[in-house]
Amino acid sequence: MDPYKVLGITPQTSDDDVKRAYRELARKYHPDNYVNNPLADLAEARMKEINEAYDMIMNERSGKTSSASRGSSYSGGYQQSSSAGNGIYRQIRSAITSGNLAMAEEMLSRCPSRDAEWYFLMGTVYFRKGWYDEAQRCYTQACAMDPSNMEYQSALNNCNMGANYGGYRPMSTVNCCDFCAQLIYCNCLLNCCCGGGGC
Amino acid sequence: MFGFIRPVKPELKVREVERFQSVYCGLCHEIRRRYGQLQTGFLSYDMTFLALILQAVDTPSAEVERLRCIASPIRRKNVAVSSDMLAYTADISVLLTYHKIEDTLQDESGAKRMAAVSLERLLRADYRKARERLPELDAVIRACLDELLTLEQQQVPSLDRTADTFARILQAIVPKGQPEPVQRVMGQMFYHTGRWLYLIDACADLKDDFRTGSYNPVRLRFELEAPDLTPVKEQLERTLERSLLDIHNAYQLLPLCQDEGLIGNIIDLGLPLITRQVLDGTYHANGGHETHGSL
Repeated sequence: MDPYKVLGITPQTSDDDVKRAYRELARKYHPDNYVNNPLADLAEARMKEINEAYDMIMNERSGKTSSASRGSSYSGGYQQSSSAGNGIYRQIRSAITSGNLAMAEEMLSRCPSRDAEWYFLMGTVYFRKGWYDEAQRCYTQACAMDPSNMEYQSALNNCNMGANYGGYRPMSTVNCCDFCAQLIYCNCLLNCCCGGGGC
Repeated sequence: MFGFIRPVKPELKVREVERFQSVYCGLCHEIRRRYGQLQTGFLSYDMTFLALILQAVDTPSAEVERLRCIASPIRRKNVAVSSDMLAYTADISVLLTYHKIEDTLQDESGAKRMAAVSLERLLRADYRKARERLPELDAVIRACLDELLTLEQQQVPSLDRTADTFARILQAIVPKGQPEPVQRVMGQMFYHTGRWLYLIDACADLKDDFRTGSYNPVRLRFELEAPDLTPVKEQLERTLERSLLDIHNAYQLLPLCQDEGLIGNIIDLGLPLITRQVLDGTYHANGGHETHGSL
């Protein structure tokens, strides 16, 4: 493996630019972008390759032979929170985690009851399949039936707005920086009006 | 197909504009060489996008030749030279064109049906030729479209169930010769391209479908009373954006040998732009003016 090729740079690149190239790639292939994505394993492999390349270059440059120099590592994967639940739901969860969606769907269709967890799991199967509208409907139903459950709520939120996506927001016309800037601006104005204190 | 997949020209480099045009022309000439002039009339930008990706992964080549054609009989144009992947895309285009005409035969009545009947006769021989070349793909297309027809007859009020049948057709286009991870990445990318295409087409056709009473998944899913997307725009945007993200994320993992900027432009700018336009009702095919092959 040529670490420079992996990061898309040359041995002449300065340390700062190596860091920049690394951060750029790490943002792209971050596991958060591939949560519940069928390509998550490929993204993870790519991430690992990028991490190794960066470590190799930095170690070589600092003269060290081992020990990671990245500081905070980006290798953290997605952990599915597993609540206890009853037997069949646990089996369905593990089928989903292992990627066997057909089996999970089959087991769900045979479940006698349609409770909040059933809708949540069905939603997750749909989400994995890329059936996002059906997933959203199921998650909404699960949240309506059990509004206090944080797992269902965060699944619905994630479905509705997506997580991080390496900063890629295809449909946004107003970006969030504008919005933040407006908030700060408004705050300044208010502060002026009220004499800086009080509000 | 539909022609929804196209780059945003002002954001392209000049050489990328030329490249896109040369691949479009290359595909057109390839279809003419393999199937004759008539078939070239059904070529769309969507197929150019497929050809670009297939070439960038399989047989990178920027070689061009200078050729004339019916649309440009005097001035020669830069045309991408023939390759396996161009030939493959040409065959796919012929298959999809024929199946689309067959679909029209089932849906329409009156003058439109008569036109489709005669077109079907004209295109049948070409279709058989293409089917002989790609028997497996043709079988998948047929099976998926049959499934879609059944769902339409049942008036299924689901976006995903119907879109899935079309998405699987595009997924089946992935060539078998590639390594397994590349096939998976392309499969995911094409699946969501198909899902997006089907849904965006359903949104664009909403008015027509209301008029003719044809099946429309968007209408049934949201129980729309009038041909107006405004009340459900946000929900549609969200679910379409999801597919765009999946296309983008898969594209990041695709080992491209060329045309990264051009393909990135189509995915990250072109598809979101068309999505916005269709949902706002400001979309016009070919930007309002019909021009063969030029952006």
